[in-house]
Amino acid sequence: MIEVSGLTKLYGKKKAVDSISFTVGEGEVVGFLGPNGAGKSTTMNMITGYLSATEGSIKVGGLDVLDDAALVRRKIGYLPEQPPLYMDMTVDEYLDFAYDLKKASQPRSAHLAEVCKMVGLESVRKRVIGNLSKGYKQRVGLAQALIGNPEVLILDEPTVGLDPIQIIEIRNMIKELGKERTVILSSHILPEVQAICERVLVISNGVIVADDTPEHLSSLLSGEHRLALRIAGEKEKVLDILSGLPSVQRVEVGAERELGVFDYTVESAVGSDIRRGLFFALAEAQCPIYMMKPLDLSLEDIFLKLTADGDTASPAQTEGAAAGSPIPEQPSVTPPPESAETPAAADTPVEEKAALEKEESAQ
Amino acid sequence: MKAILKRELRAYFTSPIGYAFLAIFLLVMNLTFYFYNVKNSFADISALFPVILLVFMVIVPILTMRQFSEEFKLRTDQMLLTSPVGVWGIVMGKFLASFAVLLLALVGTLTWPLIVTMFSTPDVASIVGNYAAITFAGAAFLSLGLFISSLTESQVVAAITTFSAFFAIFLLDTASANYISIPWVRTVVGWFSLFSRYDSFSRGVFSLADVLFYLSFCGVFLFLTTRALEKKRWS
Repeated sequence: MIEVSGLTKLYGKKKAVDSISFTVGEGEVVGFLGPNGAGKSTTMNMITGYLSATEGSIKVGGLDVLDDAALVRRKIGYLPEQPPLYMDMTVDEYLDFAYDLKKASQPRSAHLAEVCKMVGLESVRKRVIGNLSKGYKQRVGLAQALIGNPEVLILDEPTVGLDPIQIIEIRNMIKELGKERTVILSSHILPEVQAICERVLVISNGVIVADDTPEHLSSLLSGEHRLALRIAGEKEKVLDILSGLPSVQRVEVGAERELGVFDYTVESAVGSDIRRGLFFALAEAQCPIYMMKPLDLSLEDIFLKLTADGDTASPAQTEGAAAGSPIPEQPSVTPPPESAETPAAADTPVEEKAALEKEESAQ
Repeated sequence: MKAILKRELRAYFTSPIGYAFLAIFLLVMNLTFYFYNVKNSFADISALFPVILLVFMVIVPILTMRQFSEEFKLRTDQMLLTSPVGVWGIVMGKFLASFAVLLLALVGTLTWPLIVTMFSTPDVASIVGNYAAITFAGAAFLSLGLFISSLTESQVVAAITTFSAFFAIFLLDTASANYISIPWVRTVVGWFSLFSRYDSFSRGVFSLADVLFYLSFCGVFLFLTTRALEKKRWS
């Protein structure tokens, strides 16, 4: 349904998108994953024809987005990162406008009613968009993308800025919509893409660094190979035990939390589960474990790893693999931070910090 | 195009902009009519039309400032530019909407010939010619305002720049007529002379060349507006 080939976009001298190629099959739901500034929105804007590519070509349903612009645009429903809403219009007026703008051929009132029902807007159809909550505004944006029953839906960070309940609602809505359409969805939140998409394209610095199923990415991120620990006992002794465990590749020491109680982060080989061995080894050494918590690898870590061996790894090289083990082959020990910060605050990504802080406040 | 025209017209009258434009225009022009014609019992209204141009200079920026600037600011241009409506359709929809409001303002001045007819026998051909010419001139003003609006996402910047452009053209027109003697400079200034081009109409002469000038001016700036939008795609 969508064929992207050698797509490049230059902003001045900066390459926002660097010669990326991928295809999306009919009915496929694909997640575009990447940090802010990775090139997701630029790529989506090029697919929709809002931006032109510096190089490369994009075909939607076999039609070139530049040569057959009007026809291609009828096939695409687009929800940009900021929903394109006129705040002075009511929902009905706005959707009516979108219907005319998209030259939809379905019977007007029945189609608009169907779209409103699909995205749960029936109760606010007469309300002015500017007075709606952010969640409803997002729904209105989604509704305009659905007008004309486009074959392809392109959704740029559709849940950004929503509260958790709204996020779940919008995700479920997209899942439903994806049953009958080709959907490309961008996000910088991995669980979101995992929850909705059949396939994930990870983009970093304008390059696709992984093209895989969420399950495979998920297995990398399962957390079994990264543990946060709080252990009582002599630091050197505990470090020796931890480093000596099979499959352990890296041990980081955190700050002293209580007298003689230190935090540690242990990384082991992908697919290994060291928890049982670790427990018995420490028990035998009379070093009680005060806390053991699997740590999910953050998206930032994945990007660091995927791009560590060369910023411009080709999709072919990384196919299937978010794969490449990010973790050093030999066990290594990292000393505690100099500052009085907790290990979490000192050297861990935001999500982990939040998790640890939550944990601490609960204790 | 029709969808955009409808939306723009609606936006003019769900915000104060359309009303402000009409109110200022009709207030200023009807006062001018009263003091110049009614109070002096003067039947010839053709002298009022150059005044309309001066009023356009001040209030057309109100009408055009938000046309593209607001779309860029709200990011609704993404919806327009990814719709099956082409760039020309978008530009023409917006232009025709502002043109319709301008026509409405001019319709509001049709009371002048009616009042004058009640007390005298006016030169109908001159009045018709002046209304036609002011309509074309108004279209030219709007096209320049629309173009400037497509260059910025700030309505204030668009309004000030449009007014400055009109004012610069007005000053150049005046300077060209009185102070510039170099022929080629006068020719170049003549390409933009929105004001002095109206002289023949106010003298009661319907100049086809000047009508064509206004239409060409309008066409060039509408074209430049489409280019400005396309440039956003490519930049």
